[in-house]
Amino acid sequence: MKAPIIASLIVAGLASSVSAQAASIYAGESRAAAVCSQCHGIRGTSADAPFPQLAGRDADYLESALKQYRDKTRKSDIMNNIAGSLSDQDIDNVAAYYARIKP
Amino acid sequence: MKTIKKRLPHAVVSGVAALLLPLALQAASDDEHKYHQLFEDNCASCHGSDHGGYLAPALNAETLKGRSPTALRTIIMAGSFDTLMPPFYGKLSDDNIRGLVSHLQKTPKLDNPAWTIDDIKKSLKVYVKDESTLPAKPAYQIDNIDDIIGVAARGKYGRGEGSRAIFINSKTHQKIGEVPTGTAAHIIEYNPANPRWAYVKTDTAEIFKVDLYSMQAVRSVKTGYNGPGIGVSRDGKYIMAGSFVPHNAVILDADTLEPLKTFELEGIDPDGKQVSSDSGMIIGTPFDDIFAIALENAGQVWVVDLKDGFPVTRITNVGHHLHDAFLTHGGQKLMIASYDDSIVAAIDLKDRKIIKKLEAGCVPHVGGGSAVEVDGRTLGFGTNFGDCDKTVVSVWDLDKMEVVKQIPVSGGTESPAAHANAPYVAVDIISKDRRARTVQLIDKKTLEVVKTLDVGGHAYFPEYSADGKFLYISAGYSGDEVVVYDSVSLQKVASVPMESPAGIFSHGRVRYMTRGLSPDEIKGAK
Repeated sequence: MKAPIIASLIVAGLASSVSAQAASIYAGESRAAAVCSQCHGIRGTSADAPFPQLAGRDADYLESALKQYRDKTRKSDIMNNIAGSLSDQDIDNVAAYYARIKP
Repeated sequence: MKTIKKRLPHAVVSGVAALLLPLALQAASDDEHKYHQLFEDNCASCHGSDHGGYLAPALNAETLKGRSPTALRTIIMAGSFDTLMPPFYGKLSDDNIRGLVSHLQKTPKLDNPAWTIDDIKKSLKVYVKDESTLPAKPAYQIDNIDDIIGVAARGKYGRGEGSRAIFINSKTHQKIGEVPTGTAAHIIEYNPANPRWAYVKTDTAEIFKVDLYSMQAVRSVKTGYNGPGIGVSRDGKYIMAGSFVPHNAVILDADTLEPLKTFELEGIDPDGKQVSSDSGMIIGTPFDDIFAIALENAGQVWVVDLKDGFPVTRITNVGHHLHDAFLTHGGQKLMIASYDDSIVAAIDLKDRKIIKKLEAGCVPHVGGGSAVEVDGRTLGFGTNFGDCDKTVVSVWDLDKMEVVKQIPVSGGTESPAAHANAPYVAVDIISKDRRARTVQLIDKKTLEVVKTLDVGGHAYFPEYSADGKFLYISAGYSGDEVVVYDSVSLQKVASVPMESPAGIFSHGRVRYMTRGLSPDEIKGAK
């Protein structure tokens, strides 16, 4: 009974790692430093800033939000532009990076 | 205070003007005041109240000539990466940002505004009226007051909630106090005669007198519009503060913060021109009852005697564009950096003359400097912005006053840290790319770089704890933390979160005069 489940998990794991090219938190760190952290900070935002904190947010949420900004199904002048500069790989990396940081 | 002087008559006139002037003209003039105020409230603490630049570039009709308004608007909205420029998206409306760009592109650099001794007097604020009500000892657990490390947290916007002086116990790495400063804290000085007092100077030239026992500001005074210069006399009785805007300096009573005398900073520069000058470093010395102050543009160092009338001895022709300095030989000798000549000038504060000018790499910024005793020699370490191909840290023999070595490092540097009990001299790499995350460690004996720490953020202003056991480094800009390392193993041992930390100042500095020297050095000139 157990074997098929494990097997399917392994297959699913392989499938996702192939599709996601194994999100790299190191690449994410560098991209976040260059693109996101100016407004969203690394661990947190300024007490005076109007920007939401990204550290510790769910990776899937960050990924879907960035993709919505990129394809403009979610509107924001500034985020539509910024997300427009990110590749799928960038988005995966950045989402994985921020999700791992403790705020 | 010039802006007020300008504004008051206008308010009176505008009533009359309303009757006479066409509506459009009146609106334009109102706009000008609105944008001037927006500039003062959001930009001036870094870009200079006179639009002449300070920590950040000058913003005026001349410097912004030909720049695309769209590009400027984008920088204001999104901030500028690898700098302290924050994003104003959501803080300022798009209309205000557009208006500000247009205002800046047509505003000339303003004349040196006045900020008189009366303005200083009127700005004095008292938060604790009766200081005898303050606790007689620290209201927190600490073995030795020298274990306090103060960090100038700028706050993301250079003002607001995040702008604080934050004090840490360097044995436990826990915060023990936070003093809000309104605008970015820049320098923290400690009173050499009374351990309870610290003085915090902000980028908008306010000085807060801070009680380290109860961790609160007891008084503040505004000494100008912009400028970090501040020193405390060896007897702890006087403070001298100097400004970039306007070009003046003031001696204050260190107890009450009341101004005693102001100085107009002007003189003949090394090219023979009479100039009005920014204030560079100001330093009190254990050697004598004097202050030394650098006149940046005039290339002079003034020695002010702390006696009746505060007489000034001018040392001229020190260098082009002087900036910061450190002391050696019991505080008798001053090593002062000259940006444009790429030298450090050694000055004898007893004879009040230049001893020698030493090579110092490109655009030397000694950032408080460091000096260590190695094998019987006293070696001084000097950092420099390194805006050229040759990025080195200079090492000088401070007894012979000669260059020992120029150590290659990976980029420009801003501040060296050393301690008598720590094996390495730490220098912060500030070159604007990934290198800015790093700090390099130079072995005191071999004078070679032995390790590079990846600190994160824009890593700068390393500082050792008073016992030399820990190395504190600001992961500044968006790094938002101070990172603490074991000074021997160089393993990370703690992180202290705060907004955009910059300068770090150990209370131990009052004992060792210049970082890296043993406390004995202070006891007498060699």
